[in-house]
Amino acid sequence: MTVKKRLLGWLADAALVLYFVFALFPIAWMVILSLKPTNELFSTYFSFSPTLDGYRTVLGDSEGIPFVRFFVNSLVVSVGAVVLSLLVGLPAAYASARWRFKGSENLMFTLLSFRFAPELTVIIPLFVLYQKLGLFDTYVGMVWVLQLVTLPLIVWIMRSYFADLTPELEQAALLDGYTRKQAFVRVALPLVKPGVAAVSLLAFIFAWNNFVFPLILTSNEAQTVTVGALSFLGGDRPKYNLTAAAALVSVVPPLLLALTIQRYLVRGLSFGAVKS
Amino acid sequence: MTELELRDLRKTYRVRGRPSVDAVRGIDLTLRSGELLGLLGPSGCGKSTTLRMIAGLETVTGGDILVDGASVIARPAQQRNIGVAFENYALYPPLTVAENLSFGLKARRRAERGDVDRKVKEIADRVDLTAILDARPAGLSSGQKQRVSLARALIREPDVLLLDEPLSHLDAAQRDTTRRELKRIQRDLGHTTILVTHDQEEALSLADRIAVMKDGVIQQLGTPYEIYDSPANVFVADFVGEPAINLLPGVATDDGHARLSATARIALPVPVAAGREVVVGIRPEDLALTGEDGNLTARVIAHEPLLESGIATLALDGVDNPLVVLTAPETRLAHDDQVHITADPDLTHVFDAETGDSLR
Repeated sequence: MTVKKRLLGWLADAALVLYFVFALFPIAWMVILSLKPTNELFSTYFSFSPTLDGYRTVLGDSEGIPFVRFFVNSLVVSVGAVVLSLLVGLPAAYASARWRFKGSENLMFTLLSFRFAPELTVIIPLFVLYQKLGLFDTYVGMVWVLQLVTLPLIVWIMRSYFADLTPELEQAALLDGYTRKQAFVRVALPLVKPGVAAVSLLAFIFAWNNFVFPLILTSNEAQTVTVGALSFLGGDRPKYNLTAAAALVSVVPPLLLALTIQRYLVRGLSFGAVKS
Repeated sequence: MTELELRDLRKTYRVRGRPSVDAVRGIDLTLRSGELLGLLGPSGCGKSTTLRMIAGLETVTGGDILVDGASVIARPAQQRNIGVAFENYALYPPLTVAENLSFGLKARRRAERGDVDRKVKEIADRVDLTAILDARPAGLSSGQKQRVSLARALIREPDVLLLDEPLSHLDAAQRDTTRRELKRIQRDLGHTTILVTHDQEEALSLADRIAVMKDGVIQQLGTPYEIYDSPANVFVADFVGEPAINLLPGVATDDGHARLSATARIALPVPVAAGREVVVGIRPEDLALTGEDGNLTARVIAHEPLLESGIATLALDGVDNPLVVLTAPETRLAHDDQVHITADPDLTHVFDAETGDSLR
């Protein structure tokens, strides 16, 4: 290896380290903040006496804020939204990959448009509807509205997976006497498993991180961590350490999930990886 | 034992906003029980569409498909009992060879558990897969994959077997062995079979009869010998035969010859009205370099001395199209050599210049 090449290698490494610091700095800042005792919150120097009191308060439901329930709500609502989207979205993605029917492209585009239309444009009519239908502040209501987030993602990504599968595998199954449904469930679906894992994780993260829908469409019973973590800022004085602790706790599920299915993730996010 | 009949089978693709495409324009074919018919044609000639219509993977625009006299076009693919060996094998990657074979049997639970195992063993034995039953498709050679694909189509005991370009992805050595295997297996089991291919060698060597297709129409139907010895038109003559037949435009004379140029004449096998424009076809293997007594004189453009025979490209005096002649191994030719050629009228073909149809 020439000196020049080695130098370039070092420069690249240095750039990566710089980016690493840049990207993780907010999280490091939050970790520090969450470990500070209340009376040292606003000190600007780095020496302080670290304490886990912040976490204890957040998880102990003191301060009158039911954070644990918010956390459970987030889990229920996000998992629910992903499961529902998979149930509806996988057949939809398969159908749109295999058949061109009248208006199929328009339908797909409409679905996609849910992703780039700002949520705020529909939130007021939705609020009124939810109030009237009794969906306001319910799990069902949240799972339903989160379909705007998770369904287009799952349908569009899985569509390209199905399109990459050669239809002959399913046709061979049809000739063997399997029904269309069996060909989908027993032939096509198992082959896109890595894709399903990856897209489910992505959808879960998007659903988990969603802020606007729970902010406007829930008040207490079905409120999620993204909104709930802010509750610590209210009251007589903002408790930044508690907010930081709450935010960090709420990062745990997506992080754990990402780590467990990392193997699928690498394979799954490189499209076309299932081609034979 | 099954007879398959296609009656005026048609397929038109209609896509909104684009002109419709007639992929198959009225095909009539009858396969005798146990016959292997080769459907031969260039890509885009409608042969694969025909195959897919028979299998039930494509809807039929017009005409009928009869299996043992009963129309099957109203039935979906699942209810036709037709076996297809796909061009890309369509093997299921996560399953082993044995599981791939039994997968088809487990549909609608048409076989008992022990029965499935017995059938897998039986077919594996037939198609020589016993050693690789536990392997997965990714680890197999193309020839092995093709045999698994064939076994998969056969294990259900289909009424009709359809083979889609079965040898096209194999290398030369595997192609020879697989071709022999294919022929043996088909003969042993006696399935009525259609082989779709663009490779004339595949069709000539395997098929009992060949249907040559072009533009959705069957150009000629006959045994390999009939197709080769008496091609019905210029297309068939040109498509079948390697190296390709020499096609030389000319004008019929009143003494039973075709005038190719001011000096070059070739004797015609049949009388043709004087002055009629014709295309004379002579296969390279039907021409012989002879001594002074040859009836054609030509100059050598190039000579490729291959091992078992050579290929000489010649120029006839005043004729634009080069003339290709197969030469004996001991032949030595140099550029610009003058050679004499004998063309046997009995082995010469003559076609109408306008329609391309054979005049023989």
